[in-house]
Amino acid sequence: MWESLSLKEVVDCANDPYPSIRQWVRDTGKKVVGSTIADVPEEVIHAYGFLPVALVGTQKPLKKAPAKLPDNACSLARSNLELAMSYEGDLFDGFVLPQVCDTTQHLSDIWRINFPDKYVESFLAPRQADRPSARYWVKEEIDRLIASLAGWTGRTIKDHDLQESIKVFNESKALLKDIYAIKRKNPAAVTNKEMFAMIKLSMQVDKAEFNQSLKKIRDGLDPNGKAEGYTDVIVVGITCDPLEIFDLFDEIKINIAGDSLVTGTRYLQGIVPENGGAVDALAARHFQRGFYSPIHDDVFRNFEEVKVLYKATNAKAAVYVHIEFCESEEYDLPDLKKMIRKEGIPIHVVDTEYQTTSLSHVRTRLQAFFESLRGGAL
Amino acid sequence: MSEKLTSRQLSKKITDEYMDEAFRAHELGKLIGYTTAISPVELFVAHDVIPIYPENHSVANLTAKKGVELCSVVEGMGYSSHLCAYARSDFGYRATGATVTKGIPEPDLFLACNAQCFTLTKWFQVLARKGNLPVFIFDTPEYVMDKKTRQEIVKYCVIQLKELISFLEEITKKKFDYDRFGEVMRLSAESSILYKKFLDMAQYKPSPISIFDALIGMAIAVYRRGTQECVDYYQTLCDEIQAKVDQGIGVLPKDKEKYRLYWENLPVWFKFSDHAKLLGSYGGVILTSLYVHAWSFEFDLTKDPLLTLAENMVSRFSNSTIEDRADMATELFRKYDMNGMIMFMNRSCKAVSFAVPTLKDVLTKRTGIPALVFESDMGDQRFYSESQIRTRIEAYFETLDRLHLNKV
Ligand code: SF4
Ligand code: SF4
Repeated sequence: MWESLSLKEVVDCANDPYPSIRQWVRDTGKKVVGSTIADVPEEVIHAYGFLPVALVGTQKPLKKAPAKLPDNACSLARSNLELAMSYEGDLFDGFVLPQVCDTTQHLSDIWRINFPDKYVESFLAPRQADRPSARYWVKEEIDRLIASLAGWTGRTIKDHDLQESIKVFNESKALLKDIYAIKRKNPAAVTNKEMFAMIKLSMQVDKAEFNQSLKKIRDGLDPNGKAEGYTDVIVVGITCDPLEIFDLFDEIKINIAGDSLVTGTRYLQGIVPENGGAVDALAARHFQRGFYSPIHDDVFRNFEEVKVLYKATNAKAAVYVHIEFCESEEYDLPDLKKMIRKEGIPIHVVDTEYQTTSLSHVRTRLQAFFESLRGGAL
Repeated sequence: MSEKLTSRQLSKKITDEYMDEAFRAHELGKLIGYTTAISPVELFVAHDVIPIYPENHSVANLTAKKGVELCSVVEGMGYSSHLCAYARSDFGYRATGATVTKGIPEPDLFLACNAQCFTLTKWFQVLARKGNLPVFIFDTPEYVMDKKTRQEIVKYCVIQLKELISFLEEITKKKFDYDRFGEVMRLSAESSILYKKFLDMAQYKPSPISIFDALIGMAIAVYRRGTQECVDYYQTLCDEIQAKVDQGIGVLPKDKEKYRLYWENLPVWFKFSDHAKLLGSYGGVILTSLYVHAWSFEFDLTKDPLLTLAENMVSRFSNSTIEDRADMATELFRKYDMNGMIMFMNRSCKAVSFAVPTLKDVLTKRTGIPALVFESDMGDQRFYSESQIRTRIEAYFETLDRLHLNKV
C-alpha cells in the first residue's frame, strides 16, 4: 500500500491518509489504535500487532465535537475528537491518549465516555522532567501501557517483539533524517511541503511498508546537490497544519532548514537506543528528545534551543507556528518573542487553526515578513 | 478575659496576622513560597516557608470588578484574552501595582501542584523567570479508576514529596523536621474534618448556609491549614452555624426554600452576591459544589504522613476522572437532597470546565434532574452577558417549577 509512493503521492496521501489506511486494514485484517501526538511510545502499540496512527486532526468541518469541547479549546483537540466522532471513528479499535495540559486533563475521560465500545487508555507522561522521579514514572507508565494492552488483547509480548518494532521505527526516522539533510542543502530536490508530508505520513501508516518508499526517495536524491536563491529559516512550534502552509514557504523559495515541531524534528529525534532492555530504552528516549516542549520546559530552554538551531542551520529568521487557544504556548510566547528579538533573530508568529478554510490572511502576513527579510540584511 | 471572637472577626484577625507575617517574612528569617490553592502546603508550614496564593489575591481583585482593567493591560503585553483570569489579573497587578488589597509579598520560590491545573505551572514559570527563581512542580497524574494504577500514582507522588523536602532543605539550608510535620498534619486533619462538617451543614432544611458562605468560609482552609488557629476558626464557625440550625434559621425561610441547587465550577466572582439574590427570589439556594469540597481533606493519621498527604492531593475532584467526579457529585445530591444543578462553563478554567459538558450528560442521566448550563467567565466581565444569563436562569426555574408542579 505504502511501499512505492513518489513524493507527490506522499503529499496526496498525507492530506487524507484514511482511505489508504482503510484499504490496508481490509487487506491485512490488522487493527488500528490512534494516539495523540505527545510522546506516546507507539512502538509498544506496534509490538502488539496494531497499526499505531498519530491523530493530527482533520480539515473537515466540526459537527459534534463543539458540544463536548467548547470553542476556547485548542483546535487540535477539537479536531481530533471530531475526526473520531464524525469521520473515521469506526476505523479505530482503540485510543491511547496522553495528558499534557489543561485541555487534555480530562480528554481521555471524554473519549472513554463517548466511545464506550472502544479501548481507551491514558498515557500519563510526567509534567516535570528534571528530577529522578520523572524517569521512574515514565518507565512505570510504559510498563502500565504494556500491561494494559496485554489485558485488552489477551496477548503478551517479549522484549524481542518490542526490539523488532523499535528497529522498524528507528529506521523510518533515520531515513527521514537523511532526506531532511539533503533537503536542507538542496531545497529544490524536496519541497518543504513534501518533507513535512513525509514525516506526518510516517506517523500514520505502516512503517515497514513506508520505509521502502522512503529508501527509494532517498536513493533517488543527489546527496551533493545544491540549490541557489533560497532563504533558510527555522520553524518552531508543536504542529504546522494544514500542509498548504508549507506552500507559502515553497512558493517564494523559503527553505525550512530546521524545526522543532512535534510533527517534525522533535519526532525524528525519537530514535530509541537499540542496546539494553527495550522498556529502559524507550524510557531513556523520553528524555532524549532535545527540543523544547511547552509542557516540560520553560522559556529559557526553548530560547536556547532556538538559538542553537538558528546558528547551526545558518538561518535568517524563525517562524513560530502558534495553534490558536493553545495555552501551553501562550504563556510562553510573549517572553519568548522578546528574548528572540533581543538576540537579533527576526521572528514571525503564524496563527494557525485546524479547520482553517482560507490561508489568505496567513499568506499576506508571511509574505510581507519574508519580503522584509529579503529586503534587509540578505 | 476578652470576649470570644465571632468567626468573621477571627477570620479577619487570622488573615491580618498572616499577611503581616508574610510581609515581614525576610525580617523573620522566613521565605515566601507561592503555591497553588490545592497543594501539599503542610510541608511549607512545617518548614517555615510562608505560603502565598496568588489565586486568592486575584479573587479579591476580580470580585471587586478589577478584571477588565487588569486583564486589558496584560493583553497589551501580548497575552491572549482566553488565559485564566487569575493569571491575567495577577500579571496585570505585577505590571501596574493596581490592587484592591495591600498586594502580596514577592516570592522566593514556587510550588505548583497540577492536581488543580497546569495553568499554574505556566503562570508560575512566567513569574519565576523574572528573578530566575526555583519552581517545584508536584506532578499528580490523573487519578484514574484502576486500583493498581492508583497505588502506583500515589507511590510516584510520595517520591516527589520527598524530592520536595530535599528541595526545601537545599534552599533554606535547614533540615526538615519530621516531628513538626507530624504535628502540622494532625492540625490539618483536625481542621479539615471541621471544614467538612461546616460544608455538610447544608444538609439541613432549610440550609443554614449557601455556597456563598462556603466560598467565604473556605479561605482559611486554603491558606492557614496546619495551624491551631485554623482549627479554632472552623470550630467557631461550626458552632455558629449549629446555633442557626438549632433555631431553624436558614438562608431562606423553610417555606421559601424550594430549590436546593448544586453548582459546578468556580463562582462568577464579580456576580457573587447578585447571583445569591437572584436565585433567592426564585426560592433557590445553591448549597454546594465539588469546588468547595476540594479542601475537605481526609487525612488518615494512622498512615505515613507523606502517604496520606499524597493520597489526598491526587484524589481531588479536579484530578479525578469524569466518572469519579460524577460519583462525588451524585453523593452530594443524595446527601444534601438537591433538586437542581447549575453547570457553569468557566472560560478561564479549562482544566475544570472542559469536563463539564460530559459531566452534565452523566449527571442529568443519573439524577433525572435538568441542568442549567451557561458559559461565561469567573473574572472577566467582558464574557458575561447579564441579560442572557438572567433569561437562562428564569427559563430554568420555569422548567423546575413545571417539574415540581407535575410531581405535586
Ligand atoms: S499542548 Fe496545546 S496544542 Fe497540545 S493539546 Fe494542549 S492546548 Fe492543544
Ligand atoms: S481557575 Fe482553573 S485554570 Fe485558573 S488557576 Fe484556578 S484551576 Fe487553574
